[in-house]
Amino acid sequence: MEQLTLAIAPRPEADFSDYLPGPNGEALAAIADWAAGRGDPFLYLFGASGSGKTHLLQAACCEAARRGRRALYLPLDHAGLTPAALEDLEQVDHLGLDAIQTRAGDPAWEQALFGAYNRLRDTGRRLLVAAHVPLAELPIALPDLRSRLGWGPAYRLRLLREGDCALLVRQAAERRGLRLTEAAVAFIMRRSPRDPRALLDLLDELDRLCLRHQRRPSIWLLRRLLDADQPSPSSPADAAHRASGND
Amino acid sequence: MGIWHQCLSRLRGDLTSAEFNTFILPLQAAEDDGSIALYAPNRFVKDWVRQHYETRIIEVCNHLSKGEITTVRLEIGSVRRAGIAASSESPGLAGGLAPPTSRLRVGVEQRQAESNLSPDFTFDSFVEGKSNQIARAASIQIGKNPGTVYNPLFIYGGVGLGKTHLMQAVGNMVLATNPQARVVYLHSERFVAEMVKALQHNCIDEFKKRYRSVNALLIDDVQFFAGKERSQEEFFHTFNALFESRQQIVLSSDRFPKEVSGLEERLRSRFGWGLTVAIEPPDLETRVAILQSKAAQIRVALPDDVAFFVGRRIRSNIRDLEGALRRLAANSQFTGKAINLAFAKDALRDMLAAQDKQITIENIQKTVAEYYKIRTSDLLSSKRSRSIARPRQIAMALAKELTKHSLPEIGQAFGGRDHTTVLHATRKVKSLRETEAGIEEDYVNLLRSLTA
Repeated sequence: MEQLTLAIAPRPEADFSDYLPGPNGEALAAIADWAAGRGDPFLYLFGASGSGKTHLLQAACCEAARRGRRALYLPLDHAGLTPAALEDLEQVDHLGLDAIQTRAGDPAWEQALFGAYNRLRDTGRRLLVAAHVPLAELPIALPDLRSRLGWGPAYRLRLLREGDCALLVRQAAERRGLRLTEAAVAFIMRRSPRDPRALLDLLDELDRLCLRHQRRPSIWLLRRLLDADQPSPSSPADAAHRASGND
Repeated sequence: MGIWHQCLSRLRGDLTSAEFNTFILPLQAAEDDGSIALYAPNRFVKDWVRQHYETRIIEVCNHLSKGEITTVRLEIGSVRRAGIAASSESPGLAGGLAPPTSRLRVGVEQRQAESNLSPDFTFDSFVEGKSNQIARAASIQIGKNPGTVYNPLFIYGGVGLGKTHLMQAVGNMVLATNPQARVVYLHSERFVAEMVKALQHNCIDEFKKRYRSVNALLIDDVQFFAGKERSQEEFFHTFNALFESRQQIVLSSDRFPKEVSGLEERLRSRFGWGLTVAIEPPDLETRVAILQSKAAQIRVALPDDVAFFVGRRIRSNIRDLEGALRRLAANSQFTGKAINLAFAKDALRDMLAAQDKQITIENIQKTVAEYYKIRTSDLLSSKRSRSIARPRQIAMALAKELTKHSLPEIGQAFGGRDHTTVLHATRKVKSLRETEAGIEEDYVNLLRSLTA
């Protein structure tokens, strides 16, 4: 029998413990220091999609908030956000700006970012910026803004290796109270993208599915979950048709 | 656990992590009998929460408190600062922005905080080189004798070359000489923002009084006044009031006063009334000296060969130099290894690779052609007239200096020329730069625009 789960089941808070450093140990240490109010107050992160920028920015802001600091996380690609979001930041101790590349080249946004940067610096606050490319490749038109963003150290976030991803799945499952067999981990790794966010979301889904079906995690449940996202498997006849080249 | 904390748990499940962390996490709550006050960090977050989540928040709080909480009040401000500043909606003048700890400071330190001056920006920590020695000497004169020698002092130059440092060093020197002096440093964009707020809150007279009664007013990056007519008007009157009462004005900009576009002529002409000095990009030796000075400030042992390596590779501006130094320091601290050349090359490889990618021979050819208003194809052609050959030689010299390409590769990229032609071009440009001021200026301008 299926049990209905509440739509408001709380998801785990963004947390550094959910981030497996892999090749990014130095960046993680710098960001954790930033959240704790230590080390360099202005950091620039860059890396490909799936390298964990958003997770780290959110985790850093949550950690700063847990420490009693006022933190604001602004994903600049969020629909509806306007440059006014960067006005009057006197109350904010830690500001995390995600996906800055989406606003680079827009004069109104660049002016607002420039003003926010100056204000944060003048008042001893902290800024963590993330983009998908290094600063030198960001199409920023305002040279004053570009040079300021280069004032602090920059860190590249690298994608996790296959083995690191499997470890991430094991650790994150354990934190959610999910007991995954090695076969189940291998199944996930074969069928999922090597994207930590997607893997964590998959575990959250699995958690909900286990609760709904009152079952332990299994390959059967995982198959239900993963097959729901895939096109239905084609028949051997279709495969033979494709192999013959008659598309 | 308070109602608000329980409400947060519910909302965390309701919203995406981006929505939760952007709009709910920064809210601070004060619970009272029957109501909750939520403090948003700024107007944007407040309005967003009101529009998108207020109904849901009231519903959840009402449910969790078993009907006790019926209202949620949204305000701008912060719980811990509510006692001293219930809302940031009152105009936050520069002096009012000093962090709370400044209240405990005394004497010069307190005045620095009130003036918005950083104690780090002094003449002692400013590294002098050929590129900035006149600007530095003039600034020291003004720091010693404010309002009497040159008024205004106008410092111009590209981004990240030390204009702010010099201006603030003047302010700090004025305060050190006379701790009772009223000095205010602020960015022009902040002047505009404060004026707009003062107008909104009907306290423009207070704003005027504040800036017209200082002994030294230091306004950074006046080019950002461009197109803001009301601010220019106000600044014009502030300028006149200070000038007539012989109080010091120090201004900075990215270009010469007459070339700042979008400013009223009467302001532009006033900017040129006193002394105008330029700061040029630092040469290699100065860049190395700057790195070593900054390394000493943050107590990092930086060997000479590493300082020269970084100085050679990062030539755009001082902020980038500092960013690279901070990266080296952080890496050294994280790994526990001392900084040496191999370490520096490895730690900075991402930063340098991105920079190298930006400067290609094609990019250099395009920039040089645009600068001299000729076609890129002319640079590659066999034309030998002076108007084409000179830019071609300069482009070759820049390609040798800014890229890792060999002489034969550069020759090949310039219409299949021999490597000896490139060698001749680099030598010719080197000697022309020493003898012809115009060529030197062109070369420096091109170098600046390619490495900005």
